[in-house]
Amino acid sequence: MAYTFNFRDVFAAKDALLDGLGLTLQLTATTIVFGFIIGLGVAATAVYGPRWARRAAHAYVEVIRNTPLIVQLFIVFFGLPSIGIKLDVITVATIGLAINLAAYAAEIIRAGIESIPRSQVEAGVSLGFTRAQIFRHVVLIPALRNVYPSLMSQFILLMLATSVASQIAAPELFYAGSIIQSRTYRDFEVYTVIAIAYLVLTVCLRLLFGAVHRLAFRR
Amino acid sequence: MIRDLSWIDPVYLVFALRWTIGLTVLALLGGAPLGLLVAAIGNTKRPAMRWLAQGYVGIVQGVPLLAWLFLFFFGFPIMGVEVPAWLAASIALSVYASGFLGEIWRGAIKSIPRTQWEASGSIGMSYAEQLRHVIIPQAVRIATPPTVGFVVQLIKNTSLASVIGFVELTREGQMTAAATLAQLPVYLMVGTLYFILCYPITVYSRTLERRLRGVR
Amino acid sequence: MAFVELRSITKKFGDHVVLRDIDLAVEKGEVIAIIGRSGSGKSTLLRCVNGLEGVDAGDVVVDGVRVNDAKADLRALRARIGFVFQGYNLFPHLTVERNITLGPLIVKHVGREEASRLARDALRRVGLADKAHAYADQLSGGQQQRVAIARSLAMSPMLMLFDEITSALDPELVGEVLRVLEAMARDGMTMLLVTHEMNFARRVASRVLFMHDGRIWEQGPATDIFEAPRTDELQNFLGAVLN
Repeated sequence: MAYTFNFRDVFAAKDALLDGLGLTLQLTATTIVFGFIIGLGVAATAVYGPRWARRAAHAYVEVIRNTPLIVQLFIVFFGLPSIGIKLDVITVATIGLAINLAAYAAEIIRAGIESIPRSQVEAGVSLGFTRAQIFRHVVLIPALRNVYPSLMSQFILLMLATSVASQIAAPELFYAGSIIQSRTYRDFEVYTVIAIAYLVLTVCLRLLFGAVHRLAFRR
Repeated sequence: MIRDLSWIDPVYLVFALRWTIGLTVLALLGGAPLGLLVAAIGNTKRPAMRWLAQGYVGIVQGVPLLAWLFLFFFGFPIMGVEVPAWLAASIALSVYASGFLGEIWRGAIKSIPRTQWEASGSIGMSYAEQLRHVIIPQAVRIATPPTVGFVVQLIKNTSLASVIGFVELTREGQMTAAATLAQLPVYLMVGTLYFILCYPITVYSRTLERRLRGVR
Repeated sequence: MAFVELRSITKKFGDHVVLRDIDLAVEKGEVIAIIGRSGSGKSTLLRCVNGLEGVDAGDVVVDGVRVNDAKADLRALRARIGFVFQGYNLFPHLTVERNITLGPLIVKHVGREEASRLARDALRRVGLADKAHAYADQLSGGQQQRVAIARSLAMSPMLMLFDEITSALDPELVGEVLRVLEAMARDGMTMLLVTHEMNFARRVASRVLFMHDGRIWEQGPATDIFEAPRTDELQNFLGAVLN
């Protein structure tokens, strides 16, 4: 039985797809911002904090990195209302994704901080810098520069992972696809278009991050 | 009809783990040979072959796993083949694994010094023989920690097979949550079970990595 | 009281005793060269002076401040002690000028204009005025080391510590660094140098310490140490080194 591919129905729904794409981009951007900031805090705590804080930071990172994102999203989705916090699904998705990203970012940044040789720190100490000054001027920028490629890869993975938010009905690109699929029964065509869209997004993000790298770490 | 959460539910969840593990094993069985092929092709001298390998990796890694799952799930019926959810999931996860394993292994092979290639080449070995007898045995040591780390990723990724209806741990949890409306406790249990499965493997991967660095 | 005093310093790394019962008094303006085999404790001794290493027994006192006191304001003291490392330890992500202005800006809180002026003066003193906007990896080893010296000089230190600063340099680059040191000595800076450069020590040092097995084995004016060694250990050391 021959199957006739029909992409027309998919393209007819392009507004819905664009709306979904917009939310995917929004989720990606906000999650990267919050995830990076939280991850930086967790990394600094894991390296410089008191013993109890370091243990807490490690525990948080291990729990997140050893459980699936979809389960984490379900826990946030059902957990927040049970302690009386009612939020819209987009905020819930952002929170879940940010908590997830922060753990991976923290691990990457921590490795970067620890890769700065002791001798650099000793130079700062010998000049009379405080610990905070050493972190800010001697450790942080070189550390971030060293791990920027890993961070960039992680951010791209995050963009792809926003598709999982479809499972808590966040109307991002993948969810838009499944709605169209259920309406048109053009299953394969819909997901082919979706897959290509993500692929294009991946390439665009890589170019974007490459440009940011050249601008920020310009020498 | 809504029922209460009872002691038997965690037991069902634990039993569902065997499907999670089974799916992971299938994905590895399918993904490893393919990944090895990608790694081998990606290190040849011909730029066209290398581009091919890199292109494959780029496409596999540039599309969300959910999309791969759906593409295989809906793709087979189009070709007239009825494929059960577990097989579609296995194939999708195998392709996904081959993209990541291929990249890890390609990098490991690439890190073996040129001199090893030159030495084995000068005694007349073909590319495949060089790989088999000289390069891969050395690359295995380097590749093992990230590979073990990826196994953890794979276990977590099996959770997405739930979306195409395959009943592994996450799907079992969804069904239990829907039946009891005790969603939070159920998903906390599910998360804990994944953690118990994954964490020891993560620790092992780190031990391997430390041992590798220490020896070097 | 002397400018720098070490009183009965003992230091251990685990079970290994690195410094045994060291006593030393350094007056302002002295240039002290510390020589000895590797493992004799020379670098450790130097690092105890600005607190990079702690001591297990005894006191380290610099300009009246007890360095090994847990409550001491080491930061303020370190801002007045310059330390130059064997590996230069320049900050690779900053230009030469930024490397030098960073300390005065964030530790001494001078203004931007003043910091730039200090940097320019320091660079001129080490002969690298034209390299202000270069990065460390664009400079030779000798140039990097001179920038490291300039970085310390810009803090207007009262004491400079040098930890084998020419040992990592190619031989032809050593001279330019030693010339800078000689000029500093002439200007009256108090200097403690751990060094292998025997000719330099003989010419420039006001006093030479020979360390062996964690103790100050012999000390005295340069001429005494190099021409009239009293102990076998020093004789053997000089024989091996001055070949």
